[in-house]
Amino acid sequence: MDIVDSSGVPASGEYLTFTLGQEEYGIDILKVQEIRGYEAVTRIANSPAFIKGVINLRGVIVPIVDLRLKFNLGEPSYDQFTVVIILNIGKRVMGIVVDGVSDVIQLNSENLHPAPEFGSILDTRYLLGLGTVEERMIIMVDIEQLMTSQEMALVETAAA
Amino acid sequence: MSIDMSQFYQVFFEETSEHLANMENLLLNLDVDNPSLEDLNAIFRAAHSIKGGSGTFGFSDMTEVTHVLEGLLDRLRKEELALRPDMVDAFLAAGDVLRGQLEHHQGGPEVDSGDIREISARLTQLAHGDSAAAATAASAPAEPARVLNLVCLFPPDLAASEAEVDNLLAALAEIAAVDLRHRPDAANGLLEARLTTARSDTELRDALAFYVGPEEIALTPAVGGEPSAYGLFEEAAPAAQEEAYGLFSEDPAPAADAAAAYGFFDDAPAAPASEKHEEDAGFGLFEDAPGRPEALPNRDVAPGDSPAAIEGPGYGLFVDAPGGLGVFDNAPGAERLSRPAAAPVATTPASTGRRLSDHPSVEVAKTGRRDTDKTVVAAGADTSIRVSVEKVDQLINLVGELVITQAMLAETAGNLDPIQAEKLLAGIDLLARNTRDLQESVMSIRMLPMSMVFSRFPRVVRDLAGKLNKQVEMKTIGENTELDKGLIEKITDPLTHLVRNSLDHGIEIPEKRVAAGKNPKGTLTLKASHQGGAVVIEVMDDGGGLNRARILEKAKERGLPVSDSISDHEVWQLIFAPGFSTAEVVTDVSGRGVGMDVVKRNIEGLGGKVELESSPGFGTRTVIRLPLTLAILDGMSVGVGGETFIVPITTVVESLQPRLDDIRTLAGDSRMVHIRGEYLPFITLSEVFGLAGVEDITKGILVVVEGEEGKAALFVDELLGQHQVVIKSLEANYRKVPGMSGATIMGDGRVAMILDVAAVIRLGLANAKRRAAA
Repeated sequence: MDIVDSSGVPASGEYLTFTLGQEEYGIDILKVQEIRGYEAVTRIANSPAFIKGVINLRGVIVPIVDLRLKFNLGEPSYDQFTVVIILNIGKRVMGIVVDGVSDVIQLNSENLHPAPEFGSILDTRYLLGLGTVEERMIIMVDIEQLMTSQEMALVETAAA
Repeated sequence: MSIDMSQFYQVFFEETSEHLANMENLLLNLDVDNPSLEDLNAIFRAAHSIKGGSGTFGFSDMTEVTHVLEGLLDRLRKEELALRPDMVDAFLAAGDVLRGQLEHHQGGPEVDSGDIREISARLTQLAHGDSAAAATAASAPAEPARVLNLVCLFPPDLAASEAEVDNLLAALAEIAAVDLRHRPDAANGLLEARLTTARSDTELRDALAFYVGPEEIALTPAVGGEPSAYGLFEEAAPAAQEEAYGLFSEDPAPAADAAAAYGFFDDAPAAPASEKHEEDAGFGLFEDAPGRPEALPNRDVAPGDSPAAIEGPGYGLFVDAPGGLGVFDNAPGAERLSRPAAAPVATTPASTGRRLSDHPSVEVAKTGRRDTDKTVVAAGADTSIRVSVEKVDQLINLVGELVITQAMLAETAGNLDPIQAEKLLAGIDLLARNTRDLQESVMSIRMLPMSMVFSRFPRVVRDLAGKLNKQVEMKTIGENTELDKGLIEKITDPLTHLVRNSLDHGIEIPEKRVAAGKNPKGTLTLKASHQGGAVVIEVMDDGGGLNRARILEKAKERGLPVSDSISDHEVWQLIFAPGFSTAEVVTDVSGRGVGMDVVKRNIEGLGGKVELESSPGFGTRTVIRLPLTLAILDGMSVGVGGETFIVPITTVVESLQPRLDDIRTLAGDSRMVHIRGEYLPFITLSEVFGLAGVEDITKGILVVVEGEEGKAALFVDELLGQHQVVIKSLEANYRKVPGMSGATIMGDGRVAMILDVAAVIRLGLANAKRRAAA
């Protein structure tokens, strides 16, 4: 088990990093179920554009979110390099579309800096902070908070 | 060694409820006149298993009840006693008590201890009583009536008036069986009576309040729940017991002797009457022993009171007997009260006497036998295993996957050269067959026979018919028809409602039936059958049928748009309207008008349909059509803007190619389509779902569907085919999507949405409105 501080954030642990456009993001690797290529999705009527639709993951219907659309990172392309990260959050399974998976990193709390407020699309609520690894800046995302948030509209709002 | 027993509780609870259900089922099917030994043994085994289980887990209350139950059953199956209808009643009541106790152990409300004692008493009495005692038991009220001693002092002027006293007694007699002990007269204004009633104390007091002040009325239970009552007897009349016991067991006690016994008791509890009224329950038994005979006519005294006297000693003897608490609680006393005639009384003491002396030997014999029974039970061990539904569902999911994979393989293999890949293709064919078989057998695990639902109805019908004073015979046909477990659970409530409706409104009271030239006994038939991939459940009664005129009248009253010329079918549909009831009187059974609409909604929620057929004077038939399973749906796949949607086949009325001149516009923008004289809203699916579909009306297809709110025509690009699809939840990982009831995985592995037709119609109409407003 990770050493968890009071805010529920692992003080030190492994993170999966992936790229969205020019930026590099990191998420807790324990939330990742698997990584797979992008395949055709079935659209869901009248849903926000960033919800691409649902796929059949070995018999389970899994919704797919394109984070590039969510974070407004330009017009996304879908090719053989496009990757879907399947997350296991709570009891739910969902997938996020990213440009590519780059690395698994170790990050200690001293390498994690609080994210400044800049009123970006990505609310600081969903950020664990900014990590530095070999001169690279990695945006650490609290993926659980983000995916279950109301604005993602992935879960029934009853949770609010 | 300490094992945490609680981990096994759940198993016990499940098993016990199964045993109880099984027992009830067997009891209801038992032919009272000629019971099969096999059935009696099966009932005995069920009771025995419950007793064993409850003993192991320390639920001693259940052990006690089953012990008594078992005692009687044991005598029955050994043919020492003949089965009688009142025994079946008592067994059923005992089953109810056990079920209550079981629920209590699972966190439910506690069972009224009075009920438990009452049933134990009834059973013991049945088990030990011989024919005469039994005959009296047969006449005992089925309702658990309480026996109360009433004592109240009348003002002298009132007591002196014959007429007033008569009035009062008549009023009392309306709510209770009155066994008058002392009639108030000018000399003595004391009214003493023993009441047998199911009413509450308050009601009794109210009946008297007109004549006497409440402080003058003393009501005490005639038979004691309090242990003190036993103690009291043991002390009060020990000598009397000995004597009475000796007297009655040796002597068959003709009426004359009973009178003598009475005389004997005369002196026993020498307490003055005034004191006794405040005394404890049990004392009431001796209430009129001292010094009352002269106030009462002789015939009443001798036969009437001797059993009461016997009752007292009985207590003393039985205090230690296992499960024998309150054995005589309402046995001879209560019966006697409900029966004015004195004839059988003479034999009652005799049987009581025998009962006392026989008791120990019966107990011993039973213990001896029980050991052999154990081996019998063990030998007949179950051939089934208990598996959680979750595991079965997981299996079904996996097999579903396998089916999809197999379909993909078969598709790919279709492109191979049949000569070169001969072996591979043969293997794939085999795989296809095995997969199909596997899927069928896995699906069948979830299937349960309809008897699971039907088995509860004989009881419902029996109880309800009794309550409504109707004679009803219930028939079930096709109880082996299998249905998905999920559906079985959800169909029970609507079916119960229909059965109650049939009993309450359908089947007439016997007099009316005879007047109509029918058998006074009505018939209610429950029938289940398979009809082309659907399960059809019918509830039929041979009652009066629906009253067309009254339904129409009510509908008009409620402002529903009806005319006298509409077809019967449409009239019957009216009763599915919310709040619709033609019942003139609202009973606690039905008539509040909450019901048929709920039934219809529930069944439609299961993907089924309800239809009614009725002919005046001949009865009503309600037909429920359900899909075989909740997990699989027959669907028509349609293509819209490159996506595939599944329309549940049950909602599809027809599909056709529209002609341009069939399409009419309404108020400029809302489109209607004219099909066979009907104007239906024209809903373009691609518009509802924001897809780019076919624009040209002549190039697409219209699918006419019928939802909750009526018909509509859905415009789609193309029809793709008809499939059985496995329903997958969207909510598990996502959330509810408006217009969709779920999703499924097609043969190519892609996801397709299943339309919720009613919601799609609503969305389509809302779209049209928005457009019109814009």
